[in-house]
Amino acid sequence: MAELSIANVTKRFGETEVLKGVSLDIADGEFVSLVGPSGCGKSTLLRIIAGLEAQSSGDIRIGGQSVAGHRAADRNLSMVFQSYALYPHLSVGENIAVPLKMRRLNGLQRLPVVGRLMPGARAMADEIGQDVEHAAQMLEIAHLLDRKPGQLSGGQRQRVALGRALVREPSAFLLDEPLSNLDAKLRVQTRAEIAQLHRRLAATFIYVTHDQVEAMTMSDRIAVMMGGRILQCASPEVVYDDPDRIEVAEFIGSPKINILPVEVDEDGQLVLAGRLLDLALPGRGKGVASLGLRPEALRLAGEQAPLRGHVVHSENLGSEMFVQIELQDQAQRVTLRATPHQRRALGLGAAVGLDFEAGNALIFDADGARVRTVAKVGLSKAEVA
Amino acid sequence: MAVVETSSPGAAPKTSLGRAAEERRTAWFLTAPALLLMVVILLAPVVIAGVLSFTNYSLGNTGFDWIGTRNYERLFTRSTYEKMFVATLTYVVTVVPISVGLGLGAALLINSLGRFRELYKTIYFLPVMATLLAMAIAWEFMLHPSIGMINRTLEMGCGTVLETVWPFMANGCAERFPVWLGDKRYAIWVICFIGIWQGFGFNMVLYLAGLTSVHRELYHAAEMDGAKSGWDRFRLVTWPALGPTTVFVVTITCIRAFQVFDTIEAFWPQGGGPNKSTYVMMFAIFEKGVQQNLIGIGSAITMLFLAFVMFLTLIQRWLVERKVHY
Repeated sequence: MAELSIANVTKRFGETEVLKGVSLDIADGEFVSLVGPSGCGKSTLLRIIAGLEAQSSGDIRIGGQSVAGHRAADRNLSMVFQSYALYPHLSVGENIAVPLKMRRLNGLQRLPVVGRLMPGARAMADEIGQDVEHAAQMLEIAHLLDRKPGQLSGGQRQRVALGRALVREPSAFLLDEPLSNLDAKLRVQTRAEIAQLHRRLAATFIYVTHDQVEAMTMSDRIAVMMGGRILQCASPEVVYDDPDRIEVAEFIGSPKINILPVEVDEDGQLVLAGRLLDLALPGRGKGVASLGLRPEALRLAGEQAPLRGHVVHSENLGSEMFVQIELQDQAQRVTLRATPHQRRALGLGAAVGLDFEAGNALIFDADGARVRTVAKVGLSKAEVA
Repeated sequence: MAVVETSSPGAAPKTSLGRAAEERRTAWFLTAPALLLMVVILLAPVVIAGVLSFTNYSLGNTGFDWIGTRNYERLFTRSTYEKMFVATLTYVVTVVPISVGLGLGAALLINSLGRFRELYKTIYFLPVMATLLAMAIAWEFMLHPSIGMINRTLEMGCGTVLETVWPFMANGCAERFPVWLGDKRYAIWVICFIGIWQGFGFNMVLYLAGLTSVHRELYHAAEMDGAKSGWDRFRLVTWPALGPTTVFVVTITCIRAFQVFDTIEAFWPQGGGPNKSTYVMMFAIFEKGVQQNLIGIGSAITMLFLAFVMFLTLIQRWLVERKVHY
């Protein structure tokens, strides 16, 4: 177990720069997710940490030691691959034993047939067998040890891949989209199991995913990556409630956050579709900005509401309901989270008014950076104006 | 149609039975041409050869005598046929492992290249594309004991340090260099060499195709698992993944090795090499069955040849089903 630090790592494939200076410190025992859309460089970063790919510049330190020039096999990291990458000719037990055999047995002891006759080989083989058994029991795959990967289901293969990773005690676990080949139900179950495994092992986990739900549910911290940079790295709550940039706000959260274009008038007050809002950005001149409202930040309101429109689509998930509302004079849709008992008021085509708490609004400037100094202004003045 | 459809419920199963019979007849009718051709051009010759191997038939004779297993007894008792087995097995046992090994080695090396892949592939594949009969004539010139390129080249080494470190060279310079094709010690090895030279490019191409199916992520997994040397990665990933290819390559190479004929026919049209040292099975079939018109014994060797090939094919089937598919 060890802490891991990534300092200003860049990666260039020919002309294209995939990573543009990434820095990240991961504490011992922390579960950090690298999340972002495909092509954002998250898998490349993981492979650079693993040593399967070399960085163009920058440094990686594991447990305080720079691993520059150390090959993957010498970095003492374990990796779970998206395709699981199990050796098809070996049984489950043999697959899990490979990392132990490669590290504990010498070249002669690994030879087929005669290897067993080498001094110390038998005792070592027994020891490895026990470790494999222990790992298999932890993952509840002890009954599968004699099978070949080809005879297993996707979920079982996934467990074997995990078993192979945790059978030795690595400095950190690297997981590259390990759940993306599972069906939805199994994914939810395995998600919980991996999170529990992390608590049990108290090991450092670095988890790459494009699925923000996985990142939100499992991690201590989420690093949101886009365009080869880490835009924000913070706990799931902070990333969701207090995003630094509009891209982060848009990527995290399902359904997606509602972004509405607003204007800033001379006094810094926000104007949404010609109506003044009770929000102002002190010290800012005339310009444009974006107003971000999570579906749960919106609530149904009466005629005087700042947003008005009509229902165009609704999805009832049982415990909650997501309603798409097309706004008047804006040709834009927003998503509202409602409770099922509000269904009556939200029939298709129904005219609705929407309101929100000023404190729940996220304001981003024209460049997409978050504006945190937002003042609430009295609406009476606004109405007079 | 014999069955008339009626509205009574009892007649319904009869109708469907009649239809099934009709369908069966049509099916037989439609497959008959293919079946007939298969029997006439593939199975019948084998059966006829099998029957003739128990006779003393010669082409042109009006009749023949049944001589029982005497042809087979001859195969296993006469020294000529002993030499035939020795030559054939020497060739197979030498050519198969070396040409499979070289094919695999060349494929691995080419696969690791970034550039010039196609160039190397083409170069190694050249002998496969060449006509072996024509190539045999070229080899014959090169191997000529006095004016051949090979002995001329070897002579250039006389008087140099090679003579002191290499006994073969010293012998050659003191007396003379081998007659190659005329020497029973060398003849079969020359044939083996040409067989390997000609055949390994084909195995290389098959292995290159096999290598494209090896999952790249497995190499990364092996690296993470601590497989540091190329040998470890080969043992853990490449070799098992090439299992199906290897079974196929070995079987094909074995069958081709049993079939060696062109070079021997080109070098020694009469007799199968010095002291029958290169008297391989295919040549024996040709000599007995065609040149000497001894159809009976020719058929017996053919049956034996078929048995070998059948045995290899069965082993391959067994390996493919049991061992190499995961």
